[in-house]
Amino acid sequence: MTALADRAPSIRLEVRGLAAAYGPNPALRGLDARIFAGEIVAILGENGSGKSTLLKVIARILPPASGEVLLDGRPLSAIARRETARRIAYVAQSGDLVFPIRSLDLVLQGRAPHGRGFSADSAEDRERALAAMRACDVAGLADRDASALSGGERRRVFLARALAQEAEVWLLDEPTSGLDPRHRIDFLDVLVREHRARATTILLVTHEVDLALSVADRVLLLREGRALASGTPEEALTPAALRDVFGVDARVDRDASGRRRVVWLGRAASGDGPSAG
Amino acid sequence: MKARGPALWLTAGAVLAGCLILGVSVGGVRLSPAAVWSGAGAEGETARLVASIRIPRVALAALVGACLALAGAALQALLKNPLADPFLLGTSGGAATGAAIASLLGVSPLLSPGAAFAGAVVSSVGVAALARRGGRLDLQRLLLGGLIANAFFSAILLGVFSLASSETARTMLFWMMGSLADASPRKTLALLPYAAVGAAALLGSASRLNLFSVGEENAAALGVDTERSKAVVFLASSLLTGAAVAFAGVIGFVGLLVPHAARAVAGNDQRTLLPLSALSGAALLVAADAISRAVAAPSELPIGAVTAAIGAPVFVYLLLRTP
Repeated sequence: MTALADRAPSIRLEVRGLAAAYGPNPALRGLDARIFAGEIVAILGENGSGKSTLLKVIARILPPASGEVLLDGRPLSAIARRETARRIAYVAQSGDLVFPIRSLDLVLQGRAPHGRGFSADSAEDRERALAAMRACDVAGLADRDASALSGGERRRVFLARALAQEAEVWLLDEPTSGLDPRHRIDFLDVLVREHRARATTILLVTHEVDLALSVADRVLLLREGRALASGTPEEALTPAALRDVFGVDARVDRDASGRRRVVWLGRAASGDGPSAG
Repeated sequence: MKARGPALWLTAGAVLAGCLILGVSVGGVRLSPAAVWSGAGAEGETARLVASIRIPRVALAALVGACLALAGAALQALLKNPLADPFLLGTSGGAATGAAIASLLGVSPLLSPGAAFAGAVVSSVGVAALARRGGRLDLQRLLLGGLIANAFFSAILLGVFSLASSETARTMLFWMMGSLADASPRKTLALLPYAAVGAAALLGSASRLNLFSVGEENAAALGVDTERSKAVVFLASSLLTGAAVAFAGVIGFVGLLVPHAARAVAGNDQRTLLPLSALSGAALLVAADAISRAVAAPSELPIGAVTAAIGAPVFVYLLLRTP
């Protein structure tokens, strides 16, 4: 971190006045944000605040209604889709699979944007896919049907795919939701280790404030499709900000080992916070 | 994990060859393949004569089966839904209506694939419009739209049927029930170019369809222009369905059954699954046609009744298994 701080960090992603909607329902309403190269940014906000939508627009799953996203200063709309996919990997919230697919084949899909005609299973592709699976501790599952894996195993297989994709930006939508503590720890260990090894930039959508406190370099707080605040977890996750974002009173203190944690106290009494529903 | 390589293709080829021989042998007059081959003597001459009628029919059955199975396999991957099928999505109904209207207007039967394709595209576009939400196709609504399209097109066909003269009514019945009885070498040849173009487009999309079969967002995030791919696959499936329906009427469940069976044998890699579905669809329809001629010989069961008798229970099974 100190070495990085000496240089001016470069802006990897810049979001300008971004608006997007699902049909008639606006999800983003003029969002501005800057994401620096090599940082982990946790995106927090209540349901419907536009967190997942932001990832989908950056991943080019959802076209923006207005505004733009710049990748290293170039608008995504000026970059070929395939090139975007070589540089930005997206890991969806629910990786539910309808058809059976071998885990290795799923990881090989990460090579698709690199291959000719989206087909990628050269010896080199397979070696890279297997290396990614080893890095995520799922090499032993290579021949297993991914649709029959446990939630925690499947998350790591999808993370291995993002590794195999060799993208410099990872977009992760609630990567640890629904995981038991052991799988959650396993997943985060692999994530942080590979992030350091590859110096990737990570945007991570989560509901877990503690996760943001433990892994994020910066947090971005969203409310009703706009950026409310951003900064280091210490700066941004104040009781006032948590109340503005979630409508819940909270205390931020330190546990015995000195780690920051959030203690939720109850619904905020008077309501400029989000209403129920 | 699954069967691959030469053994798979040799087996599939052998099964198809077996079904083709069966298809030529079975019917009101039973033929031995040896007699057809040699053509010697009085028996041989009869055999040649009967075979000259049956061979075009068997060839048409094979092509129609391949078209429907290929369209079904591609739609299942595209929509990430094992229940997708040109029949269930209303494409076949649109095609039949298009072909029926063309036939009422006196258009040459050899041009009817064009009319059926138009009908299939109208149905696809209509169903897609019903399923379009916020500029994108909602895949659940698409299946519901297919249901509505089917009801709509059968209403049109039934309406025409009830008003038509008995000769026209017979034609209407043909579109609705499906039949290979009017096969001819010319029809089979006329079907070929449509089948070739549609098949080429789908086989060329196989790698993209692999990404779709995990999810449309998955394909988009991996760099696929999803709107364009969906258009290509829908148009190609409509072309294959239109061509099949134009010469054989509506034959349901082939596009549902065959990819399911092929997937169980060879896995879900579309680069294998699509060609294997085409071969297996050809074999299935040739076999179903042989059954339709053999069961009640010398009269025939409608081929659509045979495929529905096999397909409906499988559909129920798939429905119960789909989460």
